[in-house]
Amino acid sequence: MITKKIFMCEDSIEGIFAAIYDAGSSRYGHDNIRIQVQTAGTENFDMELFSEYIYVAGDEEKALKVSKAIREKISGEAYEMVCHAALSDEGKKGDMIYRFLILGFSLGPKAVNLLNNDKVLNIFNLNRNVMNESHHFLGFLRFTESKDNILFAKIKPRNDILRLIAPHFSDRLNMENFIIFDERRKTAVFHKSGFFWIYVTADDFNMDKLLELSDQEEEFQSLWKTFFNTIAIEERKNYRLQRNNLPLRFRSNMPEFSSNDINSSDDISGK
Amino acid sequence: MSVIIQERMPVQKKLEILSAAAKYDVACTSSGVDRSGSPGGMGNSVGCGICHTFSADGRCISLLKILFTNECIFDCKYCLNRASNDIVRASFTPEEVCTLTMEFYRRNYIEGLFLSSGILVSPNHTMELLCITLKMLREVHRFNGYIHCKAVPGAAPSLIEMTGWYADRMSVNLELPTASGLRNLAPHKSRKNILRPMKQIQLGRKEAVGKPFRIQDSRTGSDIKLPDDLRLKDSLNKDDLRLEEDLRLKKDLKLPDEWKSEGDWKLQDNFKNPETVILRPSSSALGLVKRPAVSRGFVPAGQSTQMIIGATPENDYQIISVAEALYQKFDLKRVFYSAYVKVNEDSSLPSLQDGPPLLREHRLYQADWLLRFYGFQASELLSEERPNFNILMDPKCNWALGHLGKFPIEVNKADYYTLLRVPGIGVKSAQRIVKIRKTSNLRFEDLKKIGVVLKRALYFITCGGKMMYPVRLEENYITNQLISIKERLPYGIDGSNLYEQLSLFDDVNFTSLNHTDIRSLTL
Repeated sequence: MITKKIFMCEDSIEGIFAAIYDAGSSRYGHDNIRIQVQTAGTENFDMELFSEYIYVAGDEEKALKVSKAIREKISGEAYEMVCHAALSDEGKKGDMIYRFLILGFSLGPKAVNLLNNDKVLNIFNLNRNVMNESHHFLGFLRFTESKDNILFAKIKPRNDILRLIAPHFSDRLNMENFIIFDERRKTAVFHKSGFFWIYVTADDFNMDKLLELSDQEEEFQSLWKTFFNTIAIEERKNYRLQRNNLPLRFRSNMPEFSSNDINSSDDISGK
Repeated sequence: MSVIIQERMPVQKKLEILSAAAKYDVACTSSGVDRSGSPGGMGNSVGCGICHTFSADGRCISLLKILFTNECIFDCKYCLNRASNDIVRASFTPEEVCTLTMEFYRRNYIEGLFLSSGILVSPNHTMELLCITLKMLREVHRFNGYIHCKAVPGAAPSLIEMTGWYADRMSVNLELPTASGLRNLAPHKSRKNILRPMKQIQLGRKEAVGKPFRIQDSRTGSDIKLPDDLRLKDSLNKDDLRLEEDLRLKKDLKLPDEWKSEGDWKLQDNFKNPETVILRPSSSALGLVKRPAVSRGFVPAGQSTQMIIGATPENDYQIISVAEALYQKFDLKRVFYSAYVKVNEDSSLPSLQDGPPLLREHRLYQADWLLRFYGFQASELLSEERPNFNILMDPKCNWALGHLGKFPIEVNKADYYTLLRVPGIGVKSAQRIVKIRKTSNLRFEDLKKIGVVLKRALYFITCGGKMMYPVRLEENYITNQLISIKERLPYGIDGSNLYEQLSLFDDVNFTSLNHTDIRSLTL
């Protein structure tokens, strides 16, 4: 039996592409290769017997070659789908992307339409899941205004969507100073009034200062809660529908669902 | 009429009163216009719309939905704010609305503003207040997000046009599906006053699209050029004008002079006798006022309307026929249906023991989608002989069962609109089918993967000439099969009171469709 080669890579587009580059050029046979992304949760994964583990470092040059090949041999649409899929929190995404690319390189642009093929469907689903969550956060994200007049938002997304939502807020609030912080990944987007946004990893991010609220912040939160509570029609009350549309996991940073609110505690019982 | 008005009411209290008063308006969509941010301003707009939260009734909250005032001189029987109700009255100031909108928007609570209003003093006075608020929001606060504003029935066309240059979407509520319903329940509103602004907005949009600074002569079809000096003034004195306007806004709520058209149409005249105001017959729908310096287009996200369902005895066929006419003759983006909620005691209103008719509302929305996206016509779904929807089954299933002769269809060959007529195949799965079969033939297991609901669709389709199982194409058999699959209704509309509702529907006096009502929509 042939020993399997497992290419380990870091959890980023560059990392996955570099691993795919090495895997492809190893000429070891696609069936004997697997791409494994090292995510925070998979550090202690079960090692497989009869397998060779190869650790691939992120490499910009290799990544660029792969991305160029995707755009030229498959399509721009495929490239976009793959990039979004790489932001997913699905553990097998590295290998899913690899399988999709093998198919795509042989079929060309029509590959993205073959939704009845599992390799295509997987990427399609990852892409959709990431884009849906990204769209949700355009609406469900909440800023608070700090004493220094900085708008601050904390999010806890499943997928790594921070860089997908940053352009939207940067365009919308171009005259504001704001920070969006991903609590799960300890990454942040900074935006200074009139400038482009920047993305940083922020392991030792100190948010104490940002949590000192401005004088009027509480007032507007309270006004917002008033609005939120009165706009519901009593005769149509429907907490299940509400939870279906706005799952609980999004609510932790939304003032209208903060714990001192009667309506939201009602809601958890899900009557 | 007893009105309780509190002087110096805190904004919190006003917001409570004026959002509670606005909640029965259904539309909360922020869709229909893609616009990127403006340097120095705040806000953009996303074509597909964004929901920011969901209220306890499960409805999406996208916009800050408020009335400007609930002090209303009208006495519509179904409305909480009618003049004869003894309730606390309140009015915002334009500044208060602007502050709430800007501060909510900055914090990403909302996608923009939905401004409606009771009729304070007169339709023109009210429309003017709404228009001034929008102007302030756009020009003083430089708000570039989404605005939905009501057009007040009976307001002067010049005011409606001016508002249209500031709003993204406008709506005039039809309120009740037929003119007779309106006469009975809304004595101060007339069908004519509702349809006229609708027509004006429709024509104005057509005219404004794609030709920002041209006016077309309707007789010759050629473009009328605006006098050059008029345009120069626009660009040269932009800043001076704005300052001057701001000052005026703060002093009083009079319409600034420069809004007035240079032409023969005097706003002053319009105000005195709004009833005599008609659109200029031989010229364009726009051009009654001078447009604002920053042009976002005229009502770029289109218009919508809403009908109250279940307050008057119209049947479903009448309702969707009216909706169809609105889509075809007024280019509406959306027609909303609002299950009647009893807020007033009145002998002319029905009593609703089972609460608002939510299942009926749901069926109407399903039919509405069939009209807009599936290529159905109202007359295919219902008829004078069968004027109401089947409560046990969605309108598309119902249609398919009545037309079994057209089935089964071959998934690998049928065109897009034929695919759309199959129960269990929606817009997305039909699009995917068309895409995939360009490269490969579809099998039943493929259909399942891409989201076709096979347990519904299997009675109506073949793959490669074969049905999934040998099935009798017989109406009763398939009907029973389909009913035994539980339809996924929105939460809260359960089947438990179906039978009571069935008898309620039967009680509805069926009067043959009033054709004059449909025709009146042609205006």
